[in-house]
Amino acid sequence: MNLLYATLGLIALYIYVSFASLLWEGIDRKLVARMQRRVGPPLLQPFYDFLKLMSKESIIPKHANKFYELAPVLALAVSIALLAYTPMGFAPLFATKGDVIVFIYLLTLIGFIRVLGAISSGSPYAQIGAQREMIILVSREVPMMLALFTILWRLNNIGVEKPFSLATFYQRNIWELGTPLALIGTFILLVVFLAWLASEIEVGFFDIPEAETEVAEGPMAEYSGRHLALFELSNAIKMFVSASLVVAIFFPWGISAYIGLNGTLALVVDVLFHTLKVFAVLFVSMSIFRAITGRLRITQAVQVFWLRLFPAAIIGSLILAIDLLGVIA
Amino acid sequence: MNGKIEYWVKIPIGPIHPALEEPEKFIITLDGERIINVDVKLGYNLRGLEWIAMRRNWIQVLYLAERICGICSFSHNHTYARAVEEMAGIEVPERAEYIRVIIGELERIHSHLLNLGVVAHTIGYDTVLHLSWLARERVMDILEDIGGNRVNYAGNMIGGVRRDIKDRHKKAILDMIQYYRQEVMPKVEEIFLYDPTVEARLRDSGVIPKRIAIEYSAQGPTARGSGIKKDVRYNEKLGVYPDLGVKPVTPKEFTGVIKGDVFDRMVVRVGEIWNSMEIIERALDQMPEGKIKAFPKDNLILVKLKKAEGEGIGRYEAPRGELIHYVRAEKGKDGPAKWKMREPTFPNLFAVARALVGEQLADVPVAIASIDPCLSCTDRVAVIDANTGKRKILTEVDLLKESIKKTKEINPNIKARPERIGIGRCML
Repeated sequence: MNLLYATLGLIALYIYVSFASLLWEGIDRKLVARMQRRVGPPLLQPFYDFLKLMSKESIIPKHANKFYELAPVLALAVSIALLAYTPMGFAPLFATKGDVIVFIYLLTLIGFIRVLGAISSGSPYAQIGAQREMIILVSREVPMMLALFTILWRLNNIGVEKPFSLATFYQRNIWELGTPLALIGTFILLVVFLAWLASEIEVGFFDIPEAETEVAEGPMAEYSGRHLALFELSNAIKMFVSASLVVAIFFPWGISAYIGLNGTLALVVDVLFHTLKVFAVLFVSMSIFRAITGRLRITQAVQVFWLRLFPAAIIGSLILAIDLLGVIA
Repeated sequence: MNGKIEYWVKIPIGPIHPALEEPEKFIITLDGERIINVDVKLGYNLRGLEWIAMRRNWIQVLYLAERICGICSFSHNHTYARAVEEMAGIEVPERAEYIRVIIGELERIHSHLLNLGVVAHTIGYDTVLHLSWLARERVMDILEDIGGNRVNYAGNMIGGVRRDIKDRHKKAILDMIQYYRQEVMPKVEEIFLYDPTVEARLRDSGVIPKRIAIEYSAQGPTARGSGIKKDVRYNEKLGVYPDLGVKPVTPKEFTGVIKGDVFDRMVVRVGEIWNSMEIIERALDQMPEGKIKAFPKDNLILVKLKKAEGEGIGRYEAPRGELIHYVRAEKGKDGPAKWKMREPTFPNLFAVARALVGEQLADVPVAIASIDPCLSCTDRVAVIDANTGKRKILTEVDLLKESIKKTKEINPNIKARPERIGIGRCML
């Protein structure tokens, strides 16, 4: 019975997140348009795009192999599976010990499937886009994972039920430590996470794999119709999920407890409040970031990850470690 | 050739590609992201303009020249008018020369603002694109006010200009300059001289060293960005320009170094917008009263030109570089017997293709956009024998031989013997 409720919850969550993430794309386009002194598309433009793409013929290149058609379906399936392990204002539906590993694995898998689909399409633009995506993929995960595991390790030390699981963020949060050193370290890691988020959704500096003016949308160059629509949807969900991780780590507070709700209503209120926080994080990391920056070269982006963000993550982690060990009182 | 070749990938950029505004084709051989060779293919935008011109009269060609290109529409018919005036020995009234300067510099401002936006777009910096094109609307409004059209303002006539600049226009232009000085240019400078993203992407990409720029005869901001002080308005003392303080802008005045990269070309453009505004102010100040046309009626021009015979060459510094028009007249014909133009984009394109070798694929769109290519100007020649219908492709050797012959004919004093440099050869 429990499993049945969880499955129904997952389906409801999938429908809700699809709407919320597509809605955010519309809001983002409108906000950026206003920043650029344009009128911008209607708020519901991503929905119109999605529905139109679904009704369009999907053209399959002659040199594409079977995986080309399979990749969008797999990408969407993985992003739905990812929702079961995403903190949404409450602990993930299938929360268990160490589920953070599954979360990172599934998040990376979406990018990997995109690469496979691009390579299968047989287009040289897609090949270059896939190479770039792969390079970015291996660079961006390192600082993020270091920061994430440091925070989980630190939380583990102040006592939680299930260590190294995403549910811990709703029991204790990193700001509770309260010492000046911990605050500084947490702040550095927050910056690392916001940069990681921008690269995960590929905007601003990191719009490299899908660079429109260089490789004509890169991995997506050959996709059209239904297949493209599925990829668009899975990308939107991935964007929402990535931002959810940042929100869960740094801003996990819910409002249902304060206004004295419980049961299903509390869950709904928490999800809505969580969505607002996700939009706020995405506003910083996506809208503002893409309005004030251009694209870097791939070599420069890799340098940003290994020479800027990775040392920042190490320093942030060391500060948190020093705070725990109490070397400096 | 060697074992490495099998890892090389050939990527076509064009004829249709999101980075290109007009159809052109670059076949790029890649080793990973590094460029091994660039091959340029032109001819996707041939409209047979020279052929059309042979069937029109002198004044109709003026409007045809205006439609060669949408951005430098004034430059083309200005240069054509200069060529015809030189051929027929027509004196242009001084006020007309000043009006030509003013419209020409307004056009330079709008063309450079457009290019700044396009380059920002190719590095994915769309905010700069939208804001710089918003600022450009102001100068377009002025041009519309003067000429009646945003793009083809039809300002020129053989022996003068068609429309006067009145006090109303003068006031509007001074207002516009004030607006650009105080609100637009500080922001443009902040973005193109100091912004970290722009510097990261534009510095050291698409480097055209001074030697390559000279060998490939680069023109305009492309040449000046490489440190060559080449500007027809300055070097040839064109029209009334020497009185107005025109000077070739090089990046040295702004940044202190000359590298010849995309960044430097953009700096040259920013400097030229400043320079153009100064020129316009001085021209408005010094503009004498008087007539604006050498001939009161247009049909008098046709009557005079029908009797004319000979050749004429017009030169002008278009926003993209030096523009040359050549006309030849035969007695009794009311149109040009031959009309030919040399575009700045043509030499610039090969210079930038040479510069791209050894750089990254990511630099291709921005390097191409940085020369502000105008393919509708460039694509004009297909040699077809009208009697047999055979297509003939002229090789570089043939063209060089012919051009040496022609140069000797025009100016027998020139002793230099240019060498073949072999552009566009495939390395494989």
